[in-house]
Amino acid sequence: MGSSSGQPEFDYLFKVLLIGDSGVGKSSLLLSFTSNTFDDLSPTIGVDFKVKYLTIGEKKLKLAIWDTAGQERFRTLTSSYYRGAQGIIMVYDVTRRDTFTNLSDIWAKEIDLYSTNQDCIKMLVGNKVDKESERAVSKKEGIDFAREYGCLFLECSAKTRVNVEQCFEELVLKILETPSLTAEGSSGGKKNIFKQNPAQTSSASSSYCCSS
Amino acid sequence: MASISKSNPLEEDDDAEEEVQHFDDFTLASSWERFISDIEATCRQWLADGPKNLVEKGAVAVEDSKNLFTVKHELKNVAKSYCMEFYFQIENNGSQQAGIGNWNSNSHDLQLCFGVKDFLLIAPQSASGVLLDTPESSKLLSAVAIALSNCGSLWPAFVPVHDPSRKAYIGIQNMGTVFTRRFEADRIGSQVPVKLMHLEGLYELFVSKFVYSGVDFSMHNFKVHFMMRLTYQTFPYDEEDEEIDMDELMDDKADTAENYGSESRNKVLWDDDCPWSEWYSAEDPLRGFELVVTWADRTVESTLEMAELENASPHDAEKWILHPILSPYLGDPSHGKRIDFASQLLCLVEALDTSFAAQFMEDFVSVENPSSENLKTSVVIPPPSVLDRVIKDLFREGSKLPDFTKGEHRLSRALKAAPLESFFTQFCLHSLWFGNCNIRAIAFLWIEFVREVRWCWEETQPLPKMPIDGPIDLSTCLINQKLHLLAICIEKKREMNEEFLDCIGSDDSSDASVSMEEHRKVDKRRNTSSEADLQRKRDSSIAEDTSNRLRFERKTERTNYVNQSPTDAIRRGSAGPVGTMMLLKSRQQLHAPFTQDPPLMTEDMHEERLQAVEAFGDSLNVPGQLEKDILLSDMSAFKAANPDAVFEDFIRWHSPGDWESCEPKTTEPSAGPSTEGSKDEWPPRGRLSQRMSDQGNLWRKSWNDAPALPADDQKPLLDPNREGEKIVHYLETVRPHQLLEQMVCTAFRGSADTLNQTNFGNMRQMTSKLEQLYLIIKFTMGALQRNNLLDKAKTVKDLKRLCMVFENVEKLVAVAASIHRKFLDASRLAQVIFSDFYGIYAPTMGMSSNDEENKSRTEMEVSRQEVSLRERQVVSNLFSPPSANQSWRKVLSMGNLLNGHEPILREIIFSTGDDVNNGIHYAAAADVAATSDRKGEEIETHRMYVSGTSNDLRVGLSVTSCD
Repeated sequence: MGSSSGQPEFDYLFKVLLIGDSGVGKSSLLLSFTSNTFDDLSPTIGVDFKVKYLTIGEKKLKLAIWDTAGQERFRTLTSSYYRGAQGIIMVYDVTRRDTFTNLSDIWAKEIDLYSTNQDCIKMLVGNKVDKESERAVSKKEGIDFAREYGCLFLECSAKTRVNVEQCFEELVLKILETPSLTAEGSSGGKKNIFKQNPAQTSSASSSYCCSS
Repeated sequence: MASISKSNPLEEDDDAEEEVQHFDDFTLASSWERFISDIEATCRQWLADGPKNLVEKGAVAVEDSKNLFTVKHELKNVAKSYCMEFYFQIENNGSQQAGIGNWNSNSHDLQLCFGVKDFLLIAPQSASGVLLDTPESSKLLSAVAIALSNCGSLWPAFVPVHDPSRKAYIGIQNMGTVFTRRFEADRIGSQVPVKLMHLEGLYELFVSKFVYSGVDFSMHNFKVHFMMRLTYQTFPYDEEDEEIDMDELMDDKADTAENYGSESRNKVLWDDDCPWSEWYSAEDPLRGFELVVTWADRTVESTLEMAELENASPHDAEKWILHPILSPYLGDPSHGKRIDFASQLLCLVEALDTSFAAQFMEDFVSVENPSSENLKTSVVIPPPSVLDRVIKDLFREGSKLPDFTKGEHRLSRALKAAPLESFFTQFCLHSLWFGNCNIRAIAFLWIEFVREVRWCWEETQPLPKMPIDGPIDLSTCLINQKLHLLAICIEKKREMNEEFLDCIGSDDSSDASVSMEEHRKVDKRRNTSSEADLQRKRDSSIAEDTSNRLRFERKTERTNYVNQSPTDAIRRGSAGPVGTMMLLKSRQQLHAPFTQDPPLMTEDMHEERLQAVEAFGDSLNVPGQLEKDILLSDMSAFKAANPDAVFEDFIRWHSPGDWESCEPKTTEPSAGPSTEGSKDEWPPRGRLSQRMSDQGNLWRKSWNDAPALPADDQKPLLDPNREGEKIVHYLETVRPHQLLEQMVCTAFRGSADTLNQTNFGNMRQMTSKLEQLYLIIKFTMGALQRNNLLDKAKTVKDLKRLCMVFENVEKLVAVAASIHRKFLDASRLAQVIFSDFYGIYAPTMGMSSNDEENKSRTEMEVSRQEVSLRERQVVSNLFSPPSANQSWRKVLSMGNLLNGHEPILREIIFSTGDDVNNGIHYAAAADVAATSDRKGEEIETHRMYVSGTSNDLRVGLSVTSCD
């Protein structure tokens, strides 16, 4: 699954980015999703990258998931990974409140700054729900933030694999629902506004207004 | 419409018998009688149909009118054929008298002239369309009158007489049982008698129509209703004329045939301060204004009053109606006739089309190349002097960086282009106007441009209009990113050279110590600033700030510590202590090191990196090499700044999350060093996180490998010499189509941003139109980036369409700007006029894919707007007092000047009703009274319409009498 031969043996290629403070479990989440294992991983240096093939409905998908380092020092470099991402997963640790507050203080701003794809789907994920006793961020707070920022929300545990699959699948489903993202992700998608009727065009362009 | 097409009277009579229960006798029909019955039948038909049915059956709307329709019928009489037309209005409101309410400019000439609504017009089918002799016309008119009275119609009927230029008509109207109205109109085309030039004379002319000739007007008062409408027109500002004017001025002007009274002598172009004037000058889309000033119904009693009225100011009038006159260029697509952004962008798109033909830009310049053979004929290469000027302008250095957000629209950044004021955008905009923006001209300019850029690189001269620090905006086009990085590389190279010179030059001069002193102060200030803030800013400030100051500080600091604090003697490259943090193994403050800036990368470099990561992606333990290098560099710098530090210290600074502190208060490790403990509680207690303390942890490995080296002494993460050279090489060898693609995108954004700067006040339609433009550009450019090679023809076609959309928006912006600046103090009026124009213009523009839009549009006509009292001053200011040159043309010598402007047209309606008391002799006064009772209003006995100027006068008179 690592090296693709260049033949598109998939219908869509989506790029997904994991961001969040250092130590919230981004790499663990990714590992849990891609290889069904859980390890106490050493901190990511800069960036890591995994590919996962999914089939949703009739569609074959290739997910390129980029796992970034949470350390501040790497942040300036991380900016390049936002490019062209169709989905961005913001991860926080439910047992560490600061990782949650940093989402609005830092990470949401980073997305606004670096994301080249204004339609891209954002998802908020609270990790480490297995440590329920140490919980410092309630589910309601997570939901409120997600609502305010307009993104999907899920709590999961990379360790127990609760909700890990759902997290990625929900994100992909949402991407598939968004035409401008699927157009980019598909191999040969092109449209022409001039070929449409004027009436359609105007409605189409107005819909771009709110979506892009 | 069945009856209209018939010309045979026999068939007609069948019709008539069927439809109307009436007896027609054709036994003794003479040709005239037949003719009359023909008219009669037609009129019956029209009467029976009524206006609504007639419209359904295909009545034609009269030009320029919304509610006036006409149907035609051809009549034949022995030798001549006639055409009878019936004009009718669809809205049946109000009387047939034209009052001020319906005295609108849409009225048909005859309606105005005679104050009627529906009417018949009978004219011979001849070349001139006029009955030349008077007997014929009266015979015809009486035939019509008989026909009309036969069918009981009250329509007035008119026939033209005399020469068409005289617009003379006679007419008759049956007004029921008793009255008949007679009409007569004529015109004096030249040499109007002095008496009739002025209101007094015209008043007397009217009075003379109902008063015995013997009476001396000045002795008696006659109450007369009076309405006056004056039309003013501004002097046209026409640039084309202006040039001709200059010549005219030289050899004395004698152009009396000029339509408008005078011409503009303005040297200042209207759009001088509009954003596009840097590149071109647009014709003012508003040619001028027409102002219609109406004095509503007044009663005038004496000649003297009329004289006063002639001197009255237009400001005293009841109603002002403004009518903007649009330049005809708005109406039709230019197709290269006009020069504006849209036209030049179209040229650029064509250049893109041809750019695929060659491998390098040089190929378009060299004459031998076969691919350029077919181009040579149509292309224009500007002379070297122009090239010099453009290059000079491009490379002229401003004292400070331009404002890169200037003109930026919310959506600008969605385009893969460059900021308006940036180097590359300026290049693109210049190339739009270089020659006719053909591929050869662009190639010439580009080669020269790159040559200059290389010179800047070789000579370490700063690139103009480019920032010399990061970050590189990846949403811009690649060339812009490259130029940005090049500017940074040049700056770095310069710094390195300076440093080198510094090392040789200054040993220890006295002023160095002074500056050292200063810098220590700066340091202190930094340290005392809020710690949490420092903690947060720490990395970013270090990472971003590449200014000389900091660099210098860094150097002085090193010497500083060497000289003054023996304990810190071996600290190198410290940026100062981090709060009160202490090292674990040595009772010293933890210092943050200066670190190397993360290497700035352009899009393609990122791409390369990502591909590298992807290639090795899943094989374990090969994350980004670059990140590793940075980590190593940070560790080295940290070691240098904190010689006694251990790995844990580094983690506490670099990844606070991985240090689990055991201090009582520190529940949130990253909340800042304020809780990290004071000097008293040394050493700080805690441990590394589980993941950081794993065996074989890459971080620890790197730590062990890292030498203690301050950032300055490290090998740079980004080698400016190498990167800079690579960039210049890229510029020199860029594929023409890649260059042109980026130029197209950048030029579109640059042009749109330029238009976006236009000040057009608060016109919502314009704002949303511009937004739409950006969206369309974005969409089209997206397609360009995706599939230009796949489907070149389609891409070029789409781009050409985009140019058309651009042209429309560009025109709209010009209109909006022109309106806005003329009505600065009457924004309501500005908006109403613009909305109205937009309502007419917008539907015709657009993107429908058929070729209809290539046809000329119909003349743009903006409707008339009523001016409120408060707005009058603004409108009156539009009529700037005529200059000496303009006023010499004043030949009309009419009164009622508006800022020295004469009306170009004066229309007057006199009317008088029956009033027994004022002593006018009128035979059937009693009858009139009786009839008027029935109608509930006074019968208008005399009405006169006067229109024109003092050398072109048209008079229409209608007299109601009892025959």
